[in-house]
Amino acid sequence: MARLSGWFTRHPLWVLVIPLGLVAYFVYGGLLWNFWVSVSDWRGLVPSYSFRGFDHYARLFSDPVFWTSLKNTAILFFTIPLCILLGLGVAVLLDQGLLGSTVFRNLYLLPFALSFVVTGTIWAWMYNPTSGIINTLLRSIGLGALQGTWHTSQRTVMGSIILALVWQFSGYAALVLLAGIRSVPEVQIKAAMLEGASKFRIYRKIVFPQLRGAIATTIVVVMMYALRSFDFIWVLTGGGPGYASHTLPIMMYKEAFQATRFAYGSAIASVLLVLVLLILVPYLYRTYRRGK
Amino acid sequence: MRRSALVRGLLYLGLLLLTVFYLLPLWGALTTSLKTDAEVDTTNPLSFPQRPTFEPYGAAFSYLRRPLLNSLLITLGGTLGSVALGAMCGYVLANFRFKYDNLVFLLITVGIFLPFQAILIPLFQTIRSLGLYDSVLGLILAHTAYGIPMCTLMFRVFYGELPSSLVKQALTDGSGPWRTYLKVVLPSTKIATVTVLIFQFTSIWNELLFGLVIGGPRSMPATVALNNLAGTLAAQWNVQMAGSMLLAIPVLLLYIFLGRYLIRGYMAGSVTAT
Repeated sequence: MARLSGWFTRHPLWVLVIPLGLVAYFVYGGLLWNFWVSVSDWRGLVPSYSFRGFDHYARLFSDPVFWTSLKNTAILFFTIPLCILLGLGVAVLLDQGLLGSTVFRNLYLLPFALSFVVTGTIWAWMYNPTSGIINTLLRSIGLGALQGTWHTSQRTVMGSIILALVWQFSGYAALVLLAGIRSVPEVQIKAAMLEGASKFRIYRKIVFPQLRGAIATTIVVVMMYALRSFDFIWVLTGGGPGYASHTLPIMMYKEAFQATRFAYGSAIASVLLVLVLLILVPYLYRTYRRGK
Repeated sequence: MRRSALVRGLLYLGLLLLTVFYLLPLWGALTTSLKTDAEVDTTNPLSFPQRPTFEPYGAAFSYLRRPLLNSLLITLGGTLGSVALGAMCGYVLANFRFKYDNLVFLLITVGIFLPFQAILIPLFQTIRSLGLYDSVLGLILAHTAYGIPMCTLMFRVFYGELPSSLVKQALTDGSGPWRTYLKVVLPSTKIATVTVLIFQFTSIWNELLFGLVIGGPRSMPATVALNNLAGTLAAQWNVQMAGSMLLAIPVLLLYIFLGRYLIRGYMAGSVTAT
């Protein structure tokens, strides 16, 4: 890109004032403000910003609900390998040059386009223990013994959430991985075929090793979702039964906006932010250095 | 390589099984949404109703009418706002070098990964003190501000694909940055604009959290209303499924007719990692 001289270079920057101002205020101002709330003495509805100290964090680390939420947030990470494995299988299947592959790809990606509110409502009906879709289906094909209580019991709720999320995200994983497979230079594959390598070997030795970028993308996208998971779980279970499907975002919302413990809620949010940054910083550092 | 009919058959079987996996919940929602209360209780959820009824849609629509209108206004406003401002950032960052330009880009794009809980209380307070609590305008402002990072990233990627000589030529020919943008960049990147517009439209339309926190009875978007509907009519699955369908229809239409652009948006949105 050209290094342009004179007023051209300075003038366009004025355009950035409004968007940069909004981002600076709403993103960075918001983060600082949130941190300040977490060390303030704000109780109840009326804001108060006197410094109180780190009590809320101390309380948080001795709150069993916090540890449950943290554990569930970690459990959601199981969505990542499941999405990648299923997505890779789907991508390889779609790569076989069969007629209609693109149509199938678009069908598999459809759930990803829908709102979590829509999919959460639909999965509540899927999982409904008495007349829901899954249990009725199991009964009608003679597998009634496999009926479950799904999202309504403590033991199975996280598994049920993960299954639904794999349903919604694996099509996206397949899309990204398929694009990765397609970007492998055809010469390499042709050469291997001439040497008589089997299809299986070509995938394993030539294609899969080149999917690193695509897999990294999928991991980051699904992981960021797992850390920030709110909408879907909120609609499906509201964090229940009991605290069984509480995640950090759910706990934060309930503490701050239902129990009006704003200072405590903001402490939860700060911990969540730190977790996101731990994952994000190395990844962004790489991107930033590449950009330079 | 030629494949035997058997192998081809097995591959298609795999594709069909996957289709069942991905579409079964949606099919179940569709069939249930077309049944009467009595049929919901007595028939298999996956069976198509003998006489489809639109009554559940009527019931859901009477509950969701206002929220759907709110959603439409919020989504249009938030989409236009974030896309316009993001396009400006993307244009400048893709075509002009200045001090710390990369850092500015980085600081903007970090916003994509922001856990919204970490700004929720300040957002709530800001919107309240602006007198915009429970207003469509407040939600538009929030979606505009938090949509800028993703739009900036996508536009910078798309504008970066434009031959830089094109922009340079226009600028050295004496048209200013604004003119260059309107006369050269915008007309030659129509697909990019459509892509980002559709991407933003679906994300804002689908969003729940901001609606819960800074929306209220008057400005409630349809996502919040649908969730409330589930709470108030716990047993009426046909109405809930009809409501889900109503909320999904705009996205489904975009997906069917402009899916190409939406998919391009998904790919561009993940470009930072590759």
